[in-house]
Amino acid sequence: MKKISLIAALAALGFAAAAHAESATYAIEPSHTFATFEIGHFNTSTNRGRFNKTSGTVTLDKAAKTGSLDVTVDTSSLDTGTAAFTKHISSEEILNVAVNPTAHLVATKFTFNGDKVSEIDGNLTLNGKTNPVVLKAQNYNCYNSPMIKREVCGGDFDTTIVRSQYGVNYGLNYGFPDNVHLVIQVEAVKQ
Amino acid sequence: MKPSSNKLGSAALKAAFVLSCASPGLAPALAQSIAGPVTYQLDPDHTFVTFEVLHFGTSTLRGRIGPVTGEVTVDRGAKTGDLRLRIPVATLDTGMRVLDARLREPDLLAAAEYPEAYFVATRFQFDAAGGVKEVRGEFTLRGVGQPLSLYAKSFGCRRDERLKREVCGGDFTGDLKRHDFGATFGEPFVSDDVHLVVQVEAIAPEAAGAR
Repeated sequence: MKKISLIAALAALGFAAAAHAESATYAIEPSHTFATFEIGHFNTSTNRGRFNKTSGTVTLDKAAKTGSLDVTVDTSSLDTGTAAFTKHISSEEILNVAVNPTAHLVATKFTFNGDKVSEIDGNLTLNGKTNPVVLKAQNYNCYNSPMIKREVCGGDFDTTIVRSQYGVNYGLNYGFPDNVHLVIQVEAVKQ
Repeated sequence: MKPSSNKLGSAALKAAFVLSCASPGLAPALAQSIAGPVTYQLDPDHTFVTFEVLHFGTSTLRGRIGPVTGEVTVDRGAKTGDLRLRIPVATLDTGMRVLDARLREPDLLAAAEYPEAYFVATRFQFDAAGGVKEVRGEFTLRGVGQPLSLYAKSFGCRRDERLKREVCGGDFTGDLKRHDFGATFGEPFVSDDVHLVVQVEAIAPEAAGAR
């Protein structure tokens, strides 16, 4: 009996060790990681802007179904396709990039659906102000990259933020929407 | 929030924003029945094509092409329309120059040989309120023409107080298979299915806008 419980204990330990070994760090892959904002334009079409530079790390424990991330977006890398629009959004009236050159997302709560990350709860700092955000996965997958011979995990995430909560109030009184849809492509390489 | 000219100075721009924003002019222009066809010029600051393609079944790779130029003629009474878009594929911008260069190569967009794609649509469908619901036509990429439908996710018209014109536009989406155009590099790791997201705004001539 004693022997059996010892074996069970060892097995449990072994399982725990295996589970622990699942925890890994992934580095954000900048060529497949972009945050894009979408905001309505006079109830007609949607204006978009993409931030070209993002960096950071993600940790994933697939067995324990936990994760965390710490990602920084270079707000001066904004690119809308229209120089004057990019300049205006970067100005002190809106994102004030000179004073707040980064946006920062920190998350310690990952929700899994089966073996896929379905939701990430974190805190977004933008324009120097921090608010909670919930990113929902539209796609999520891991694959072994034939190019770099490493595992890559990533997906498409989105959320809607209320920009006035970040002190970004420009044009609210003219009818420009307070809600901004964030669309995030992310891939991260196992280290 | 987005200016309609890159050439405006910032002070002028600010003034223009205030003017344009002071009264958004969301008059139900669609309810007005303008007799006969009206030709709108596309607003290059608010007209872009973004393609979306799934990368390794994992995340969505996006590329923005534009500004897109062209014109659209709509006859609301007759419920007909005619759209001509010139899409400068060489302006492709994914945010990564190395990727842009790869996508412009002959086995993908073939931008050197075919610097423009075209969308010509002559079959318009309108919803009950008179808004454009669907445009069907032919999309030409790499010199290959294929049928394509774009569906409105949103559509609206407004009186733009700064331009003193009517502006109509919306968000449209469409789907194509890139092998239909001979652009198969990277399949199946990068999907054959391409989702098009089109932002478009078009400005009416002065006479139509004055109504």
